[in-house]
Amino acid sequence: MITVGIDSGSRATKVAVVSDGRILAAVKAETGREPALTASLCLDDALRNCGLSRQDVSSIITTGYGRDLIPGRKRSVTEITCHARGAFEIVPGAKTVIDIGGQDSKVIRLDGTGLVIDFVMNDKCAAGTGRFLEVMARRLELDLKDFESEWEDARDASKISSICTVFAESEVVSLISQGVPASSVVRGLCDAIASRIASMGRRVGIERPVVLTGGVSLNGGVRRSLERILGIEIIVPPMSVFMGAYGAALIASSS
Amino acid sequence: MRSGRFPAFLSTILKNKLTYRVASLALRCFGGRMCPYQLAAAKGVISELGDAYSARKPVIFASAFVPTEIVYGLGAVPYLPEMWSGFAAAFGVSERGIDESEAKGYSQDLCSFHRCHLGLEELSLLPRPSAIIVSPHLCDGGRRSLYAHSVSAGCPFYVIDVPYVMTDSSVRWLSLQVERICEDISRRVPGLGLDRMGRAIENSNRARKIYLDVCQLRRNEPAPWSGSEALNYVFAFLSGWGSEWLIELYESLANVLKHRIEESRYPVPQERLRLLWLNLKPYYKSSLFEYLERSGVSIAFEEYSYVYWPEMDERRWAEGIAIKMLTNFGWGPIERRLDAVWKMVSDYQVDGVVQFDQWGCRQSNGGGRVLADFLREKGIPFLELDGDAVDPRNSSLAQALTRLQAFVEVMDARRQQARGAHLLSSLTRITQERGRDQQDDHRWN
Ligand code: SF4
Ligand code: SF4
Repeated sequence: MITVGIDSGSRATKVAVVSDGRILAAVKAETGREPALTASLCLDDALRNCGLSRQDVSSIITTGYGRDLIPGRKRSVTEITCHARGAFEIVPGAKTVIDIGGQDSKVIRLDGTGLVIDFVMNDKCAAGTGRFLEVMARRLELDLKDFESEWEDARDASKISSICTVFAESEVVSLISQGVPASSVVRGLCDAIASRIASMGRRVGIERPVVLTGGVSLNGGVRRSLERILGIEIIVPPMSVFMGAYGAALIASSS
Repeated sequence: MRSGRFPAFLSTILKNKLTYRVASLALRCFGGRMCPYQLAAAKGVISELGDAYSARKPVIFASAFVPTEIVYGLGAVPYLPEMWSGFAAAFGVSERGIDESEAKGYSQDLCSFHRCHLGLEELSLLPRPSAIIVSPHLCDGGRRSLYAHSVSAGCPFYVIDVPYVMTDSSVRWLSLQVERICEDISRRVPGLGLDRMGRAIENSNRARKIYLDVCQLRRNEPAPWSGSEALNYVFAFLSGWGSEWLIELYESLANVLKHRIEESRYPVPQERLRLLWLNLKPYYKSSLFEYLERSGVSIAFEEYSYVYWPEMDERRWAEGIAIKMLTNFGWGPIERRLDAVWKMVSDYQVDGVVQFDQWGCRQSNGGGRVLADFLREKGIPFLELDGDAVDPRNSSLAQALTRLQAFVEVMDARRQQARGAHLLSSLTRITQERGRDQQDDHRWN
């Protein structure tokens, strides 16, 4: 059975085509102004990549902020359930899933059998999300991909005391003007985001194995800061960015 | 609606006696189309607003947890500014009120229920109080913000100091305060006296008795009253005790609920899950509750509908009021709130608990962690939903919906797992019984 999961996030749309638990194709694009159109184009693209057509698809489940805007869905399921489902499939026994997306971040607690027992999401502000990192990377004139190498190069971490994106940005500007190396600032930013996620996570209790998903999972700097602050190893599964879409497709195949 | 002239127009309407005559007439002519309890509530509100805005009776402002029996007992009209902030949100004027209060320099950190009524005064939308009574137990912001109204109205301002624990001496101390405050008001405000106090207590006791029947009816599964509507009626629960209209309202509500149960007419007929709702809700238009009802989720009961105080003795009214304040489960050690929440969870057989975390509400949000741990230990899913009940600009509907939908998914998954476990244990039992039967058959053959 071929099923599809569409994760229409605030920044990016991810589509996964799945058969028997295996991802046949996955496509990602910027969501832009028309989430439904983007989702449709991504879906066509993904199907084309694996030589299938819409007729071959048994069921589509949508997730993400635009989940209720996508036509053709069987139903919509929240990112919390989808990320948990996807991560548990790839890392059986996972007890904690940390999903850091463009606009929000979540810590999801599982009971060891895949059942979500609790979750916590960041409050209504951009602190601790991918957006925070994007703004800071632009200020530092760095590519987000370079964060891990900068993190490794850093001799120390600058203290970023504000959790507010706007205030943190002005802190970064002032650090740059003081001549603080970009690597220290990067490490400070990763620590800031990680300590915010860590304190969120402690509300639901972080237990091993911990899986990191969402767009920011590719940012090695944040992962390393998280590991340091939490004192545990964090698993970034393959296709971690597609975990919501993958989970949605898995739910579609079982419902 | 948000034009500059709208509040001035609304102020003229509110202060015109004709408005209330027309509204009463409209209720008499068309009220038959309303649900009886809605009609009773509308009649009560219109008559009190008429009395308050046309100064037919002295108005006493009271903060949200002051027992209104003393206001009715004095012969005045109670006006709870926080409650009217909720109405302002429902009528789309809360943003103007909030902007106005912020322009006056009130901090954005203050709960919007307070910011809004402070701004409504600036817009001349409040009646003029003859006295103000506040009790800062639970809500401290009320003491500060209502004081501002007393300064602008130049009226006496009373603070009831509620002891933290309930002992004989705290009851004595509190009843003495209540008595003294009421005596003082009756001396200082012309037209008020203490002679109606017994009657107000009697009314309150009668309403309480009927209301307990309403609570009993609400235990029915599916829930006979929509929780989002019940949360609108928190205004009556906070401001109607001691009045005649509250008795009528609860009588008709009990009748309507009885009929609904007899005829199996429920707001959420396909009820799958039941919730207990703590603290308030967004009073402006929001699709949160539509989502819940569409998904087969009922709000079976709300924290602010819970009767926690015993019947009062009319002859010892001040003592009765003191006990009512002291027994408020939101005051005193947090264990009292935990006990009350657990009683509601058990009485209404809910699958989960949602606490609406009103921005700036310390009394409720402060205990969130303890409550979360307590409920988690008991195996009851708990969600803290951040939001703002009065200021629609201060929260994101999409984010709230995601949290609520995820919470429903968590409850659903638990239920499925419990069903699966139940099925498995039944199957195991059947298999074991079969095995035993076969062994028995074998023995007999
Ligand atoms: S300005 Fe700061 S506090 Fe406000 S939403 Fe943005 S990041 Fe959050
Ligand atoms: S919501 Fe909380 S802070 Fe606001 S008025 Fe009510 S009790 Fe007070």
